[in-house]
Amino acid sequence: MSTAAAVFTDIRRSDAGRSLLRPTVLLSAAVLLVTVAWALLPQLFTSYDPIANVGASLQPPSAEHLFGTDSTGRDVFSRVIHGARETLTGALAAVAVGFVVGTSMGVIAGSAGRAVDEVIMRIVDVLLAVPSLLLSLSVIILLGYGTMNAAIAVGVTSIAAFARLVRSQVVQVSGSDYVEAAYGSGASFWAVLWRHVLPNSLTPVLALAALQFGSAILQISTLGFLGYGAPPPIPEWGLMIAESRDFVATAWWLTTLPGLVLVLTVLATNRLSHAMHTGGRS
Amino acid sequence: MSYLLRRLGQALLVLLVAFTATFFLLHFLPGDAVVARYGGPELGLSPAELDEIRDSRGYDQPVLVQFWLVLTGFLTGDFGYSTQTGASVSAMLAAALPQTAALTLTGFGLAVVLAFAIAFVASFGPFPWLRQLVRTLPPLFVSIPVFWLAIVLIQVASFQLGLVPVINPTPLQELILPSLALSVPIAAPLAQILVRSIDEVRAQPFIAVVRAKGASDSWLLWRNVLGNAMLPALTIAGLLFGELIAGAVVTETIFGRSGIGRMTEQAVANRDMPVLQAVVVLSAAAFVLINLIVDMLYPVLDPRLRSRTAGRSAPSREAVRT
Amino acid sequence: MSESRITRPHRRLSLGASIALSATLTMTACGDGSSGSDGDAAAGGTLTYLEQQPFDSLYPPAAGFYPNGAVINNITDRLLWQDPETLELHPWIATELPEINHDATEFTFTIRDDVTYSDGSELTPENVVKNFDLYGQGDDERTLTVSEAINNYDHGEVLDEDTVRFHFSEPSPGFAQATSTMNSGLVSDETLDRSEEEFGPGNAAEIIGSGPFVLTDEELGTEYTLEARDDYDWAPSEHPHEGAALVDEVNVTVTPEDSVRVGSLTSGQADIARQIEAQDEDQVTGAGVDIVAADTKSVANAFNLRFGHPLLEDIETRQAFMHAIDRDAIMDSLFTESYPQADSPLSSEALGHADQSEFYEYDPEAAVDLLEEAGWEEGSDGIRERDGERLSLVVNEAHPQPRSAELITLAAQQLREVGIELEMNSGDRAQQQADQQDLDLIQVYHSMVGRADYDVIKSQYHSENRNVLLNGYEDEVVDPELESLLEDVASEPVEEDRSAASEAVQRHLAENAYVLPLFEEPQVYGVQSHVQGFATESVARPSFYGVSLEE
Repeated sequence: MSTAAAVFTDIRRSDAGRSLLRPTVLLSAAVLLVTVAWALLPQLFTSYDPIANVGASLQPPSAEHLFGTDSTGRDVFSRVIHGARETLTGALAAVAVGFVVGTSMGVIAGSAGRAVDEVIMRIVDVLLAVPSLLLSLSVIILLGYGTMNAAIAVGVTSIAAFARLVRSQVVQVSGSDYVEAAYGSGASFWAVLWRHVLPNSLTPVLALAALQFGSAILQISTLGFLGYGAPPPIPEWGLMIAESRDFVATAWWLTTLPGLVLVLTVLATNRLSHAMHTGGRS
Repeated sequence: MSYLLRRLGQALLVLLVAFTATFFLLHFLPGDAVVARYGGPELGLSPAELDEIRDSRGYDQPVLVQFWLVLTGFLTGDFGYSTQTGASVSAMLAAALPQTAALTLTGFGLAVVLAFAIAFVASFGPFPWLRQLVRTLPPLFVSIPVFWLAIVLIQVASFQLGLVPVINPTPLQELILPSLALSVPIAAPLAQILVRSIDEVRAQPFIAVVRAKGASDSWLLWRNVLGNAMLPALTIAGLLFGELIAGAVVTETIFGRSGIGRMTEQAVANRDMPVLQAVVVLSAAAFVLINLIVDMLYPVLDPRLRSRTAGRSAPSREAVRT
Repeated sequence: MSESRITRPHRRLSLGASIALSATLTMTACGDGSSGSDGDAAAGGTLTYLEQQPFDSLYPPAAGFYPNGAVINNITDRLLWQDPETLELHPWIATELPEINHDATEFTFTIRDDVTYSDGSELTPENVVKNFDLYGQGDDERTLTVSEAINNYDHGEVLDEDTVRFHFSEPSPGFAQATSTMNSGLVSDETLDRSEEEFGPGNAAEIIGSGPFVLTDEELGTEYTLEARDDYDWAPSEHPHEGAALVDEVNVTVTPEDSVRVGSLTSGQADIARQIEAQDEDQVTGAGVDIVAADTKSVANAFNLRFGHPLLEDIETRQAFMHAIDRDAIMDSLFTESYPQADSPLSSEALGHADQSEFYEYDPEAAVDLLEEAGWEEGSDGIRERDGERLSLVVNEAHPQPRSAELITLAAQQLREVGIELEMNSGDRAQQQADQQDLDLIQVYHSMVGRADYDVIKSQYHSENRNVLLNGYEDEVVDPELESLLEDVASEPVEEDRSAASEAVQRHLAENAYVLPLFEEPQVYGVQSHVQGFATESVARPSFYGVSLEE
């Protein structure tokens, strides 16, 4: 898990419920909608092939090539748009791994007996104890290379965060009066879990998922920098930034523009996560 | 006391599991260190010859035997030898540790300074727009990839402006840029905590009362703010440690510094199992130790928790830590 | 002095140019026989050199890896010295060229008697024999391998107090040149007793040679210093400089990030940087720094088609691959004039080179015809198929070679036009190394190799050496003719016959469309204009011996 999680989920001040309608939140939603649209229908936004040579190499941004061209003459804007799919899918897969595995572990730990809880939470402790970059590097050399493998490797590092959050939610909700009442009226454990515990835990978990989404994009790009991310010529944002870092001094647009898109997307998901969290609390 | 023993037991268990998991994970990695070291076409060794080399390193023994040997080695402080360089891992660590410690400590120190600066301007800055602007910095800081920041820093500060040399710098100079790059993602959560703490303290009615009594404004405020911020800051100590390690891998590679991070990067590239094993176990040990200390400090700092320490680890803390 | 300063911002060396220049430089400087304290070349000073990767072994036969070679070339001497321009051999630690018997199975050298190692021990004939016994025979127990440069070595013998003789089981005409390579760098007796690990990083200061520099202050994986030996007095007589090295020390810093290496150079923080990528050359020359492109004079950077694989077993398919790639377009968009297009599997400056360019013409229409001839039909996604099998090949990413990934990207685009799919095997260096021996994983191998002797072509292609074509994969030699042609190169005792044998190999590789040479791979250095006399040995590893710093 990243420090981003620490920044935004540790919220005890209760913002007003209106936070979902704040302009920055709307703006963030707009940014995300655009990137999702890129991912779904890239051909609507650009006519250039992202992996084909479409002009002279290293041309600065112009009307023809909005983000310029890269070292092999590919259109950077087209690569960013097509890259949205790779990047968002990768981040989504990472979050899915953490979400599914972590949530299951958390639910079981929070609702099963003490011994099971102990075992699961010690596993979580181990996952937390190994610095996330080391963990994902180890997983990646185990699984091999590729976008999905990098995503899984990053996802593994967020399992612990989900498990802990879900467990504490489950423990908290199980102890509340209405859950006691539900048990009292004869509901089974699973029914209570399904009807009361999970819905009540959902908001903070979704907020964490949104947050991990942004952080996964960053972590995947760091793996790309170290040479363990998506294999070229796949247009993945992190890889694009990492690959073109040698051109920082000579072709600023190569890292700066995709970098800007990446930072904006991460910022937007973080903002939405924050809004969901505070909105959900009020 | 029994709580302390229990936590200690848990910590040791976590370490043992981390060690075991790492060992088996690394053991089954494809593309082993012997191939990385001797498989190059220029040496022209056949697969049979590579097997012989593996045997000579004891890789032909049953896995459990190897596991036992490595485990007992670790317990006696013998981390084995790097497959890539043949150097003793303990010696490599001893050489790298001070470098990384210097980098991460200055990075952390810088982060604290940066966090206070942000919190101060965000709370007491002259213009409302400025305060708002500064408040957007922490989210921005955690959205920038550190490797990119480091490269831009070098380009601008060293190559364009010539402020600090990157090649053959003095011991002080060589810390400036990497620790700056490292401090950015660390400063963000700290600043966030401080800002929130200041907001809370200023909203409390007693401040007005004490102020009316004539107590010095800032002294009172900061005392309360710090007290308030300490707990959430402690809860993310472990996380910050992980972030520092990741940051060290990236910054040491970019700045060409020696240290644990660079060692790790090289070890991964060369599938150098003994080195990776040592790095993972050591960082896990550091993490566990940090959390143990934090857990001990927690009840001391938070009176609300004092009564609960006999029970399982404080639930409120877990909620916060996620 | 300054009149001989290199003013061309861009020079392709033809390293002789630099040698010749340094000759004028240093001879003026050393006119009085001292270490060159007159003129405006300042004697002494510290040279800052940027390396891309840390060295991984200082066992001389492992010197082929550039970072290793940078150390070994400067801390060791060799029996003979090869003029990097003419590729002629001259005496060095041997007082004259060796006597060679008629079938090149016995080489007799006379050894200088005034040479000492940096630890004070003497360089004796016994020590020389001990060196070559290890390099020629290897030592399995210590996992020390046989030097790639030495073929058919049997044993060495001390004849008297200054003569040694080496015996070979088969003719080994390349041996004289082999003694001049870094792989035959002479080290002290104690050094020769070290284990493979003890040649590794962390022990560099204990690797004792007799060269003009001594390695000190090693910091694992990041930097080291080469300190000049004051008492060095046995440079090759043909070398323009004599006596101790001109600089006091060379500070070598490892900076893996390309942008940091280039930036440090252009901002004046470093004097020389190795591995300047083609795309950075303009930035470097723009800052007034010279580009020195030293040709490796060896096997060119090439795609090697592994003809043992079912997809590549037809010559038509391989020829189509050759004709589908527009090498001009690739060279124009990715490389500079430092990288001349290759016209043969061997570089044009390599010994025995023969032009084969007729086989490599870009002709996509011919490629399509050839593919159809071989029975490849266009599939639904544009990639051709035959009997349900897609014409899809995998190429390794050659991490040590310049712009390998980008080059493959462009080649794949061009191949796709005619219906061939070329995918890049992903993974870091360790992964590529593990995969490259597997015909099912890699069918096209991207690589080159450096050594300035006829033998180099055998090193690259013979099944018992690098075997980049995997001829002899799982002991099945598909093309025995290639094997025997290669063996001729390494065993013909007479030079003309070796040259002819090498030509025959190149012809064979081209005719059968086994190898598509791309460019003659240089080693590109960025050198500040105040650095004088920078030179490289015959395969482009740096020599700091004749370097001086102008005020």
